[in-house]
Amino acid sequence: MPVVTPRFIDHAWRRGCDFIVIDLEDSVPQHLKAHARSLVKDAIPKVSKGGAEAFTRINHDSVLADLEAIVWPGLKRVKYPKTEHAEEVRLLDSIITRLERERGIPPGTIEIDPGIETALGTANIFEIAGASPRVREFGASTGGYDYSRDLGVEMFVDFDQFVYAKGEAELAARTLGLGVRGAPFVANTTGSVSDGGRALLQAEAARQCGFHLGGGGLNPAVVESHNQGLTPTEDDVRDAHWVLEQYRRLISTGETWIEVEGRVIDRYEAARARDTLEWAALCAERDRQKAEAVARTRAEMAKQDPAALK
Amino acid sequence: MPRSWILVPVSKPEQIEQASRSGADAIVLDLVELIAENDKRAGRANVQAAIRTAKAGAAQVFVQIDPQSLDADLNACVWPEPDGIVMSRVESPEQIAHADAALSRLEHERGVAPGTLKIVAAVETARGNHAAYDIARASPRVRALTLGRADLVMDLRAEPSHEIHLMPYLMQRLIIIARAAGVAPIGAWWRAPDRGLLATPENTYEAAQRGRAIGFKGAMCLRANQVEPLNRAFARDASPRLNG
Repeated sequence: MPVVTPRFIDHAWRRGCDFIVIDLEDSVPQHLKAHARSLVKDAIPKVSKGGAEAFTRINHDSVLADLEAIVWPGLKRVKYPKTEHAEEVRLLDSIITRLERERGIPPGTIEIDPGIETALGTANIFEIAGASPRVREFGASTGGYDYSRDLGVEMFVDFDQFVYAKGEAELAARTLGLGVRGAPFVANTTGSVSDGGRALLQAEAARQCGFHLGGGGLNPAVVESHNQGLTPTEDDVRDAHWVLEQYRRLISTGETWIEVEGRVIDRYEAARARDTLEWAALCAERDRQKAEAVARTRAEMAKQDPAALK
Repeated sequence: MPRSWILVPVSKPEQIEQASRSGADAIVLDLVELIAENDKRAGRANVQAAIRTAKAGAAQVFVQIDPQSLDADLNACVWPEPDGIVMSRVESPEQIAHADAALSRLEHERGVAPGTLKIVAAVETARGNHAAYDIARASPRVRALTLGRADLVMDLRAEPSHEIHLMPYLMQRLIIIARAAGVAPIGAWWRAPDRGLLATPENTYEAAQRGRAIGFKGAMCLRANQVEPLNRAFARDASPRLNG
């Protein structure tokens, strides 16, 4: 969200997000960039009040000024747009390292998320993803406006137009052992970014492909869809328990796989089932943390100004 | 190059016999995927008998081995000689070089002509796929590349479109690398609900046809009833022609 729009920043903590991206880039007009920088330090604790992690997206061409303005305690991650070379990531790393030291932030804690939005970035993707230990998550995007423009690819079609670019990103992330963001193909032929129903389909597809990380959205209307879609359902959990029960039976036979009710049961299915259960537990824990943060914030606000709390 | 490769556990003589009657062009005796960890030692002791059983038919015979237990697996399988080995989960050219040297030594010790044994490299992990071009060129013994069970090893699941996540990219990448290195790309274009080389004969035929269309030369399977569809789809004269 644009850091220059106070009502977005002020209400962000109420949205139930796992992370919030404070934007200095495309959503901030050029003449407001300096003003925007001055707002980030205060915005970080504001957007975090509901338990969300605070990220900031900086500008490709004003790295030093932007980082000086945003590297403060509470910042979790720097999103760097239109990354094209590994050196850019190394430069970010060295500046962040200095600022962490100067500002009392535990060293190495602020992450870098190098966005790939150009053909050149795609060609250098493996070196970019491996350029800093601060890059901990990496992977495919569903193809934003900038990426589509640079590659000359249409955005809203009914087939997967980014097979190669997404594959390169994901193979790099997996090869380097990073957290993997995947973007299973879900057609968006309408061009809507605020359609909660479509966001739910996208998040569900990611969950069903085994992914735990969402790419984020541009409109509060999609937050609940992302949370819901990425969280295992009761059916998923029940099914995982069933698979593990069948697997225990398989183990006792000394065979490596069996077919039960038309489904293959083997160590791979068992691993998927265990993953589902672990992920369901982590989601529940995260929801609990966020609910606690919201309750704490509300209690503080009620103490300070009972009328302000709706 | 074989059109159909059937993978059977080295510890199951009845399945090996069935495979040798299935019409498969190649039988892969497995020491990795289809054999429980506790049975691997016994499995290695079975390899020589299994090779004899498998060689009763006309099929080529390969042994699938694990780079993690390379020497033990290779020791078990160089004589009577199979046509080659399938190296599962290959991740680096060094592993191929190591296998190449071990095979040369065993060929020498056991009176097998040097360079006889071929290697099929199964790149089933991200690292393996990343290094696939170097892997394919690491030894003249490498004659084919396959994704093996990458969908399971890398935990790639079905997308809403029924494509297996990431596989369209990995398949095309593998085929280009294999062609560039002058080796055969082995595989079929499976779609959900098929997983891990298991499918009905009809779905196997369709997967093989799609696979052939994007450049695969023959595919692996796990069931005897999948062999005929593979042979049919990958037959030399089966390519669809455009009608004038």
